[in-house]
Amino acid sequence: MADRLKNVIFQTLQRTVSRADFDWLQDRLEQDDAARQTYLTAVHVSEHLDQQAVDASGKPTPSDAPGADAMSTPLSIGRQTIESTPVMHWVLVAVAANIIALAGITWYARTHDAPSRTERGSVLPDDAMATSSAPDASSSFAAGDSDTTTERLIAGHATLRRAIDIRWPKGNSGLHEGDVLTNGTLQFDSGVAEIDFFCGATLIVEGPAKLNLESDWSAEVFLGRLRANVPPVARGFTVKAADAQIVDQGTEFALQVTPDAACVEVLRGQVEIRSTDTPARQLRTGQRHWLKGSASSASDFHDLVTNDDVQRRRHTAQSDRLADWRNHIRQLRRDERLIALYTADAIDRSAESSDESLRRMFNQVGAPDERDGVLVGPVERVSGRFGNESKGLDFSRTGARVRTRTDGQYGAFTFACWARIDGLDHVYNALFLADGYENGEPHWQIDQDGRLLFSVMVDDTPGTGLGGHPQARFHHLYKTRPFWNDSNRNQWFHLVAVYDPPNRRVTQYVNGDIVGDEVIQPKFHVQDLRIGPAEIGNWGQPLRNSPWFAVRNLNGQIDELAIYDAALDANAIQSLYQQGKPLGY
Amino acid sequence: MNSLPDAPPDDVPPDDPLDDRYADFVGLLARHDQAVRRFVRALLPTGDGVDDVMQETALECWRKYDQFSDTATEVDGEFTRWACVIARYKALSWQRDRARDRLVFRESVIEQLAASAELRLDRGDHEREAIERCLDQLPADQRRLLLSVHSPGESVARIASETGQRARKLYSVVQSLRKLLLRCVESRLASESSHG
Repeated sequence: MADRLKNVIFQTLQRTVSRADFDWLQDRLEQDDAARQTYLTAVHVSEHLDQQAVDASGKPTPSDAPGADAMSTPLSIGRQTIESTPVMHWVLVAVAANIIALAGITWYARTHDAPSRTERGSVLPDDAMATSSAPDASSSFAAGDSDTTTERLIAGHATLRRAIDIRWPKGNSGLHEGDVLTNGTLQFDSGVAEIDFFCGATLIVEGPAKLNLESDWSAEVFLGRLRANVPPVARGFTVKAADAQIVDQGTEFALQVTPDAACVEVLRGQVEIRSTDTPARQLRTGQRHWLKGSASSASDFHDLVTNDDVQRRRHTAQSDRLADWRNHIRQLRRDERLIALYTADAIDRSAESSDESLRRMFNQVGAPDERDGVLVGPVERVSGRFGNESKGLDFSRTGARVRTRTDGQYGAFTFACWARIDGLDHVYNALFLADGYENGEPHWQIDQDGRLLFSVMVDDTPGTGLGGHPQARFHHLYKTRPFWNDSNRNQWFHLVAVYDPPNRRVTQYVNGDIVGDEVIQPKFHVQDLRIGPAEIGNWGQPLRNSPWFAVRNLNGQIDELAIYDAALDANAIQSLYQQGKPLGY
Repeated sequence: MNSLPDAPPDDVPPDDPLDDRYADFVGLLARHDQAVRRFVRALLPTGDGVDDVMQETALECWRKYDQFSDTATEVDGEFTRWACVIARYKALSWQRDRARDRLVFRESVIEQLAASAELRLDRGDHEREAIERCLDQLPADQRRLLLSVHSPGESVARIASETGQRARKLYSVVQSLRKLLLRCVESRLASESSHG
């Protein structure tokens, strides 16, 4: 009975309950105080899980011994909140299978499904999961109390510091520079990945490559050529290949693994090779050792990518990327549906760098100079999303804003921009906001939970708003699911809001993927759209002719802000993302 | 979601930013928002409508704030209780608008639950601590599975639909873990209350 109650309660909270069970639950709740107490506790447990899950990292407890946590949760958590990826599902299946096998929930036999497809980030659940000896589930709760703090945690072992010309396996969208890597398989077909482990070791890996990130201190290599750089602080970092372990004593070494051979060479310092069937051996500068195969499958490390090469190649790639992007903007600005296109980079607009032009955000559309955005307050000119040669504008200091003015009436809107978010400091963090927020004017911003918010004022008469507050006005916020969390600091996102009155839809995108899609209800339907004076990166004058302003500046950068008098479709938006994305995306 | 009426509701700054009364109110609401939210969440089983009810509640509280601050002796302690009374009515009127929807409790159930929940208001912190302790005692992989299905946009059903024949198993595993966690929290709370 108690068990049925709990089952039905959780089914209700998950919306999977049958009508009959729901009515049974209502009767129980009405008659039985103990049932009500159980229900209230269950709601709070469920809520707590929801909140914790947004952090998306299983919270390590002090009792989790290093290495005991052998579950493979191969996820780049950098974008976890955007889209539940197929990988998530495989992980869950794997996890579930593991629990079935281990946790004493014994009424299932473990079956074995090898995942049959590659996943985003080329991360595959490790089919050969090492198994921690999890206790019987019913005894999971030890009597002892451990004091745990509740600081925010991010799970991961390494970051993808730089990615150059990487081709990910077919059918997955790959990882981005700056992504945090948790344990699991990393695989790519070509290009170079530079991986910084949290212990301080760096691997520069050339594709085709396949490796398994095991922990902050170890990785197993199945395929690929790499250079490992291990500073003294990371002494003990271990690379596994061909059933042997290369334990680094604070050095630099090279490794090549092919299907039939594996060879290691010490470039500087000393490593120790351990394997099960032979005694450990020391290898010093210049020495080479075959873990598998022999010199007949000759390997040469003289052309192995160095740190300087990565730097150089990246610089060249960055310059090419910037040139391509400028050409993309030259094409883009011909689009007649564009109302405005603001860039930090002048692009053909003004060769001289007068003081005046440094205080502009250049509008690539329409008559020069008249429609440029004007930098107000402490907006900083910084490097943009294509490295040191590119331009960017940083709005992180209070009061930073770019003032714009856009006259005219419009029948639909598409707002698109690239934003680098270094923190969501305010209740509302501005992307583009019309002064005054009068009828038909747009507001586009990000809330503290990392959701995009788009709205258009329906009726700005004070007191018409929901709830009857004398100052409330009538409008509706179209919210997306959260797309940003702390692990995304310093990453660029392509953000889009499409307001489509003819089709009565508001669709929002992050990096080309839909994150929000809502019907415009008749009462919120606005056809006569305007912008007027407005601001990029802040909100200027909440009420016209008032000295007060809200603090909504975006802690980060905004660039390539395009405003269209049209509702762009998903293909056009995907194309904007592809053409505008930084290197390593 | 924070349901504060940011500068009085919806994008309008306060008439007078120096209005102490408003600042006090916003401070109170910010401090107790979570507790009120949990209360509302308990009355609306699917979670639908929680944001609306919270917003309505916040606005109503602001409208009646004078009455409250004139009578309250210990402002912080009484605020949650007072706000929950308002939230209860707001939840009921939300329910009346949607009584014919699936999975909305009937009025009498909401009344009963609200009464029980009000009695538990000052135990919120204990409960949260109990949940955290219990969650910490779950093995890492089990905890991770639970959190995965609670991630935004996820549900067991959705994951199950993508993983075909394993759906029932996955569902049972998750369900067992939830019950396990619930049992742990209940027994912790019971032992706490028996120790005063």
